[in-house]
Amino acid sequence: MAVDLKNRCVTDRRRSRLQASVLIGFVLAFSQSACQPKRQSERLTVASAGRISSLDPALASTTGVLQVLSALGDTLYIRGTKGKLQPQLAASKPQFSDDGLSLTIPLRRDVLFHDGTRFDAKAMAFSLKRFLRIGSQRYLLNDRIAAIDAPSPFELRLRLKQPSSSIESLLTSPYLTPVSPKAYADHADRFLNDRFVGTGPYVLNSFRNTQQRLLPFRNYWGATPKNVGLDLINLSNSTALFGALISGEVDVLLSNSIDEDQKRALSERADKALLLESKGPAMNITFVTLRTNSPPLQRQTVRRALAHSLDRRLISARVSYTQREPLRSLIPPSLRGGKTEPWPAYNLATARQLYQEAGYCTGRRLQVPFTFRTNVPSDRLMALTWQAQLKRDLPDCVQMTLNGVESTTVYKQLSEGSFEAVILDWGGSYPDPEAYLSPLLSCKRSEGTICKEGEAVDGGTFWTEPGLQAALSRSDSLQGKARLQELRAVDAMAAEGAPYLPVWVVAPKAWAQLRLNPPIFNGNGLVDLAQLGERR
Amino acid sequence: MARGRELFRYCATRLALAPLMLWLIASLVFLLLRVAPGDPVDAVLGSRAPEAAKAALRSSLGLDQSLWNQYFDFLSKLVHGDLGNALINNESVRSIISKTLPASLELGITALIIAAVLGLAVGFSGIARPEGKFDFAGRFYGIGTYALPPFWAAMLIQLVFAVMLGWLPVGGRFPPSLIPPEGSGFLIFDSVISGNWAALQGSVRHLVLPACTLGLLLSGVFTNALRLNLNRTLKSDYVESARSRGLSEVQVVLRHALPNALLPVLTIAGITVASLIGGALLIEVTFSWPGIAMSLYESINQRDYPVVQGIVVAIAALVVMVSVAVDLLVAVLDPRIRY
Repeated sequence: MAVDLKNRCVTDRRRSRLQASVLIGFVLAFSQSACQPKRQSERLTVASAGRISSLDPALASTTGVLQVLSALGDTLYIRGTKGKLQPQLAASKPQFSDDGLSLTIPLRRDVLFHDGTRFDAKAMAFSLKRFLRIGSQRYLLNDRIAAIDAPSPFELRLRLKQPSSSIESLLTSPYLTPVSPKAYADHADRFLNDRFVGTGPYVLNSFRNTQQRLLPFRNYWGATPKNVGLDLINLSNSTALFGALISGEVDVLLSNSIDEDQKRALSERADKALLLESKGPAMNITFVTLRTNSPPLQRQTVRRALAHSLDRRLISARVSYTQREPLRSLIPPSLRGGKTEPWPAYNLATARQLYQEAGYCTGRRLQVPFTFRTNVPSDRLMALTWQAQLKRDLPDCVQMTLNGVESTTVYKQLSEGSFEAVILDWGGSYPDPEAYLSPLLSCKRSEGTICKEGEAVDGGTFWTEPGLQAALSRSDSLQGKARLQELRAVDAMAAEGAPYLPVWVVAPKAWAQLRLNPPIFNGNGLVDLAQLGERR
Repeated sequence: MARGRELFRYCATRLALAPLMLWLIASLVFLLLRVAPGDPVDAVLGSRAPEAAKAALRSSLGLDQSLWNQYFDFLSKLVHGDLGNALINNESVRSIISKTLPASLELGITALIIAAVLGLAVGFSGIARPEGKFDFAGRFYGIGTYALPPFWAAMLIQLVFAVMLGWLPVGGRFPPSLIPPEGSGFLIFDSVISGNWAALQGSVRHLVLPACTLGLLLSGVFTNALRLNLNRTLKSDYVESARSRGLSEVQVVLRHALPNALLPVLTIAGITVASLIGGALLIEVTFSWPGIAMSLYESINQRDYPVVQGIVVAIAALVVMVSVAVDLLVAVLDPRIRY
């Protein structure tokens, strides 16, 4: 009797636990369906990282701002999906004068600003002059442009200080997006942060630092957007961005700022057909800067030995799960116009031979103090991996010690020659090989292979090569393939001297929910937001 | 009468010291920002901009002036209530503060209410049986929530309730599909005033996770403070005397012990306001809450001197005001306090 009672008690307890579990499960399931964010509009929600402090093209520099500007405005030219220069507000390709010192750009005649005023050469000149006066990156134009004229209503003429073929690419930059002279009359010499009046496919409906609403511009000269509008939101951390896409709170996620683990998780979801993933042209390069004006890295043999000691594939796999593409050039692959990579490949036998030539490996080890930016997680991982790889591969030849420094200090002390070897990154201001080579290699004054003044000093390498600066300048007076060949020759000279060791290149990615079209990147690495829409 | 005069003198002293404290804080921030490595010019132009361009910008921003000149310029503007303009986009610092402070206050006040209610309830729950299960659980809760790393707790709560269960939004302050109501910047208040119920629902939904997380993390302080004070009060002579007069335990606790035990908790609440700002930073960053702490964080990263200085002075002023108000309130409520 007592046993029966006990059994019944146990059974009752089990039953009540089961009932409780079912009830909790039901409540959870119900609450989940009940609390899923309901779509309150047909507009698409697009999330990206970082707040937008200003929509003024003259101030634009972050990818987030450039992305919004690319939807609100147009540029004279644009790099298409295959990287080719295409006219946007220009009617055709720019015409250079015979001496290369003047550039004439015919403009479209059917373009209106969002405030209803007409876009013409005067409006374009107003915007360019405004940028030259107040633009944060005005030095990019100041070095090139001597004067801006509007000889006829739909013809713009730029007089150059010296021949500059890279100006074509520069004109694709969203910070040269024209703005309405009427709307910016009071802001010709100061920034207008919370409004934007341009010519793009979208009109700015509302602006907050963390939320912007874009509605299609009815009088847009080009193709109508494939969506009824966009709600852009800016979240501050990787987990929030990742979570917002996974939970269905946002339709599209544009970001390079999310953690590698989460990028991989999103890519895996895309592989399982749970999301759509698109990849843009890789534009952001990461490299090791070597200080070449003092021993031991003064010797080219030692720098080349280090170049041969760098296992990029292993490092990319450990740091980014192979999502970052190994790089052996200072020019990103999409701009290189070929597959040749001039930097030495990972080769232990050659590396050992070079170390031995330099007097190492025979009881003497090369000491390399390697600095990484403590606030960049991938830098730390790269440094740790390379240190371990060298210890595994060449323990008798080279010893690496690590040193973490905050990035602001690194940049401040770079030109003072404080770092023997330091990992840094760079994204060109416009999609052109010159935007990578000049800022890293150009040198105004040198003594032999030591640069005394110029970008090479600011970049911390102090390295140059006789003829390098001349080749860089020459490339700006050439066009097309000849120009690209010249720039590739400069890249090859740098590979030979090895003041930098390119490590990897990062491609922008975007993810979208399955019901949408896959995001499409243009040649500038920005998503064409007007192409986002429901799949048909 | 004499007490009233003493209280007045105390208030006057506290208020007179407030500007001195603000000056000290402002000077410290000014100095520390300049000592810290980094350059706002790099943040505007990028680290690879030519030196000539950097020098030109530095000159236009007045950063090429001597440190004394910059300091006196900063102080003279501060005295006139001018906090300057952001170096990054030239927006006035006053406007940045007026946009972001309401968001932080909305979050902070809600979190403080949640912390007080939750903390006091848990702290009070163990009083019936000291050293019993509830008392032990309350002690564990008090220490546990206080010791919990805020960023970890916030991320976990975000992952569970927003990402996995999808009950609440992952981040932000307002649904992207709606236009926030204009007004004071306190979205819940503005939604109620404008009768915009969709906006109200959206604001509340966005507030729940960050406010509950912050409230939960702060509630331990209240729990421990109430437990300790209530225990001490319950052992005091006047409580024993109340018991000996035959009052029920409920009456003893509610009428005699609790009001006295709550006085130190009030002081702690005042101090918590200061830590709320620091604690709120991690919560604001995790939940993408566009508050003043997040602005401060971004401005520090960009070395935007005027914004950092302005925000720190504003926060300091707020903390000074709250602590003076709490001191005065305690002084008024507790007749034992002498000055």
